[in-house]
Amino acid sequence: MKLQEIIEKLNLQVLTKSEAKNVQGVFISDLLSDVMTSANAGDLWLTVQTHHNIIAVANLVNIAAIVVTHGKKVPEETITLGNRYHVIILSTPKTIFEIASSLNAIGLKSQ
Amino acid sequence: MPDINLRLLTVHRIKEALQAQVAVGENLLDTHITGIYASDLMSDILAYGKTGSILLTGMNSIQTAVSSYMAEFKAIVFLRGKKPTEDILKFAQGKGLILLTTRTDMYEACIKIAQIDGQLLPGSETAPSLDKEIDVAMHRFNIEGGDFTTAGMISTEIKEILNSIGYEPKLVRRVAISTYEGEMNVVMHAQKGIVTVKASDEEILVNLDDEGKGIPDVEKAMQEGFTTATEEQRALGFGSGMGLPNMKKNADILHVTSEVGKGTHVAMKFIVKK
Repeated sequence: MKLQEIIEKLNLQVLTKSEAKNVQGVFISDLLSDVMTSANAGDLWLTVQTHHNIIAVANLVNIAAIVVTHGKKVPEETITLGNRYHVIILSTPKTIFEIASSLNAIGLKSQ
Repeated sequence: MPDINLRLLTVHRIKEALQAQVAVGENLLDTHITGIYASDLMSDILAYGKTGSILLTGMNSIQTAVSSYMAEFKAIVFLRGKKPTEDILKFAQGKGLILLTTRTDMYEACIKIAQIDGQLLPGSETAPSLDKEIDVAMHRFNIEGGDFTTAGMISTEIKEILNSIGYEPKLVRRVAISTYEGEMNVVMHAQKGIVTVKASDEEILVNLDDEGKGIPDVEKAMQEGFTTATEEQRALGFGSGMGLPNMKKNADILHVTSEVGKGTHVAMKFIVKK
């Protein structure tokens, strides 16, 4: 599914520069080591983590985009790094549980 | 005909939906669940989790169990095949916390629970006030800096003391969460510390004094997201810059003073409503 379609359907806020991407699945975790071991390339990654390390992890795993949930404020440093390494950061005020249901409703499955 | 389903969401129904195994609490599966919280960050659970919830997590440290107990959660589901450790099992058995394990990941778990046609009961809002005279209770505990295996046990004990005195659960929850965040701060950032609790029928005072590196800029440290925690500490689900803000949110009065290279003093006051 096209990232732009997800952004529009779920009304996600785009914090970095956006790019055309294909989303293959969804992965939810706040543990960076778990994302590195278990997430797949092309996953949409849902987390409440905003520390700039998320950019390095997303970049390594080839995450399609990060969705920061719960309306957590993303530090400027994280956004700057996201732009530099072409990691797209999105934001929603919804909780993980709510946004997971919405993603399922538009047809996204885990890989 | 309207589809009215008044079946309640119970731990049992979640267990079935996730094809989960019961690690602790086989006899408690009829417990009603009033909220779902999916997270691996303990400070988030403490800040946003609601009483009566079930936690979906991939974090299997003892702090997962302690945080759930502090936040008055009913159950924990360990996801993606993660197994609760011996100390988690023991803690949960002692506290009536239900533990489930499943191979399902967090996304699938959220979806499957959302598809259960159960109804979430709102948490009880009735707040019985303290209607008896109590003696002033004083307690004092030593905290060891850097010891993550016993971190949270002092706050757990304080919570039990306050419960046994008979304060209303919401007040106890606020005190417990704040004290736990304070205890974790001492464990993460100091060599040692002392926590004292003075509980009367008018107020509960919690003081945390530590010998440690201190906080250079207290105002900055109070901002959500500001952290000086190490990677190792953050891997435990703490140190996401929620500790002090969480204490401020829960205490009626919070006062923090600190001297760099010496230590930090935290004073919290909780007013007992009559």
